[in-house]
Amino acid sequence: MRGRFLQTPEAMAGTAILVLLATMALAAPLIFPGDPLRIAGPALVPPFQDWTLPLGTDRLGRDVLAELFHGARTSLVVGLAAAAASLAVGAVIGTLAGFAGGLADEALMRLTDAFQTVPGFLLALAFVSIVGPSLSVVVMAIALSAWTGPARIARAEVLSIRERDFVAGARVVGMHPLEIAFREVLPNALPPVLALSSIIVAQAILIEAALSFLGLGDPNRVTWGGMVAEGRTVLRTAPFLSIVPGIALVVTVLGVYLAGEGAVESAAVKKGLS
Amino acid sequence: MPDFSLSRRSLLASSAALMASTALPRFAWAQTPKAGGRLVVAADSEPRNLNPAIVASNGVFFVSSKVIETLAEADYTAKDQLAPRLATSWEGAADGRSVTFKLREGVTWHDGKPFTAADVAFSALEVWKPLQNLGRTVFKDLEAVETPDDHTAVFKFSKPTPFQLVRNALPALSSVVPKHLYEGTRIEENPANNAPVGTGPFKFAEYKAGQYYRLEKNPAYWEKDQPYLDEIIYQVLPDRTSAANALEAGEIQLAAFSAVPLADLERISKVPGLTVVTKGYEGLTYQLVVEINHRRKELANLKVRQAIAHAIDKNFVVKTVFLGYAHAATGPVPANDPQFYTPDVETYPFDVAKANALLDAAGYKKGADGTRFSLRLLPAPYFNETKQFGDYLRQALAAVGIDAQLVNNDSAAHIKAVYTDHAFDLAVGPPVFRGDPAISTTILVQSGIPDGVPFSNQGGYKNAEIDAIIEKASEELDAEKRTELYREFQKKVAADLPLINVAEWSFTSVASDKVRNIANNPRWAVSNWADTWLAE
Repeated sequence: MRGRFLQTPEAMAGTAILVLLATMALAAPLIFPGDPLRIAGPALVPPFQDWTLPLGTDRLGRDVLAELFHGARTSLVVGLAAAAASLAVGAVIGTLAGFAGGLADEALMRLTDAFQTVPGFLLALAFVSIVGPSLSVVVMAIALSAWTGPARIARAEVLSIRERDFVAGARVVGMHPLEIAFREVLPNALPPVLALSSIIVAQAILIEAALSFLGLGDPNRVTWGGMVAEGRTVLRTAPFLSIVPGIALVVTVLGVYLAGEGAVESAAVKKGLS
Repeated sequence: MPDFSLSRRSLLASSAALMASTALPRFAWAQTPKAGGRLVVAADSEPRNLNPAIVASNGVFFVSSKVIETLAEADYTAKDQLAPRLATSWEGAADGRSVTFKLREGVTWHDGKPFTAADVAFSALEVWKPLQNLGRTVFKDLEAVETPDDHTAVFKFSKPTPFQLVRNALPALSSVVPKHLYEGTRIEENPANNAPVGTGPFKFAEYKAGQYYRLEKNPAYWEKDQPYLDEIIYQVLPDRTSAANALEAGEIQLAAFSAVPLADLERISKVPGLTVVTKGYEGLTYQLVVEINHRRKELANLKVRQAIAHAIDKNFVVKTVFLGYAHAATGPVPANDPQFYTPDVETYPFDVAKANALLDAAGYKKGADGTRFSLRLLPAPYFNETKQFGDYLRQALAAVGIDAQLVNNDSAAHIKAVYTDHAFDLAVGPPVFRGDPAISTTILVQSGIPDGVPFSNQGGYKNAEIDAIIEKASEELDAEKRTELYREFQKKVAADLPLINVAEWSFTSVASDKVRNIANNPRWAVSNWADTWLAE
């Protein structure tokens, strides 16, 4: 499967970007030990001037490269955690709704509709400004709006799976309905739900960046969105401070999308062959 | 053969010509103001209530000080640093129980009614004392205002009130509103709060929400030939970068109150036709202050507070956070105050080794991870600079082993967290010094202030000695002795550090070279602009 997955150039590029990002994130504390927000040199050193500070410094004299590496950690952690949380919540709710049917289905799906009609970013914005900004709150805020997609897809899959013979078999054997739902049905409904993960990760990274840009990120952590916001005050004199983290965001989201596309395509090919 | 030798006479003549060419035009223009023209300025906020007698704040003054005048305005050179406006003279009684104002004659309100002492009495008793954010403290003992004739107002105080304090309060606190429009109405809800009627050089013409305020010339203004401008437009430009762009494009001629961010000033100062002006805000000095919650046992220890003071590199803050547009502070009164400031106080030079030694001596040794203890640090969100200083302070404290966790809030949540809930250990605040410590400075260290009063001592600090000095100064009638008491106050505060004063800064304006007579008083941006004019 791996060979097939890496066959398309897009998937290869996406994977390469993600591997690079993961390496950056994992290596950040080794290459740039200590607090990346500490003051490392004079303020506003432009990039490529001083080789101890390759990407220059920001308005307080903090090392932009160190911030970039540590920012990769935040972005990836938020992206993956938010995706994991929303997939888990979405899959469970979707499965329950689809499997139980009737009133429970109706109630859960209307709840999903309610969440879906509120723009995800606004929901996250409101949640963070009420609870207060910290990394876990940001992850929850993003998951709060992102679980609806997985829930709907999981329900649709479950609706077809629950009519299959093996489910009827499980009923006859006398398994508890919840056991059937989560041990027999959910695992089979999962693949199409997982295909959503790349979109959710990419969206989560962008929402986190936007929240940080608006000053609603965790102020004790470096985030790319926060870096863009800081750079905005000196946009005319030191545009690199906004451009560098901006490029990092674009590349990351692109990498996640490409890798996700590749995974979905290779899964489709596999399904077609089998 | 041409003669290259320079005679003494020709040198003098040519240098005089050179001097004339640079100095003369400006000088000559300054002599003959030209009437007419429209001044377009940037406004970054849109206050709903434009009544400066109720809301004495810079955002309101910026627009309404041109419409509604005060009894006197701040001045660089005049006696008591005050220039007459609606009052022509003021005199305090020896017992501190009355102040007599002689009022200007022949002044009319914009609706044509005459201005009299009754308007002053009404404003003082019905508006400044009960309703105004600052007047509530300064005029708390005002008992009555007698009006023996139409142009005399005698303020009577139930307790001796220092005349010096009353004088220093005049520029910001004494906006006079028309009695005939406010009497018998609910003053806070009067429609004139949104379309003010005053005696000033400009009349309020219209307001389009999200777009502009328009003021037009008052032809019946009491000062002959003034105002020079026909119109002032406040163009609402909430985004800070747009003010700089609008100036460069010539769409606006003035951006006051630092509407152009500090980081852009150097670039914009090189644009031909634009000038960066740092004068004209001396009466509006902001102070960058680290507020301390003394309920935290670590911070109740003077050695810890001294260590924090030593850990802060004030010069770095001035140079990097404020890009040089600020001064390092020594104590609770800013150095640019002509009356009260004393440099003769305890100072805390930047010294990390000393800060570490003090913390060790206080009994807070570094743990295995290099930190001594953790703190919550709440930077006020009102200015970029307060937020950046918060980022800096976190690093400065980390260097001496104190782990400060930043907590970001929006304005309302910050005020609630610090001044009502006391949910902070350190906070970064920007209090304003308003020309007299009794107006808004002593409240920062005085004890016994109820919870929830913003910009006051909510850190649980209590020092009987300092309280006694504040109490004594509030009743001291002799200006000399009162000033001496406030010098003592500065020394005590600098020694005991109820809060840490880091820097003092004010605003900058960026103006077109064509705008003349700008920054000619210490509160220029919030003064009446009657003598401002536009050159060709």
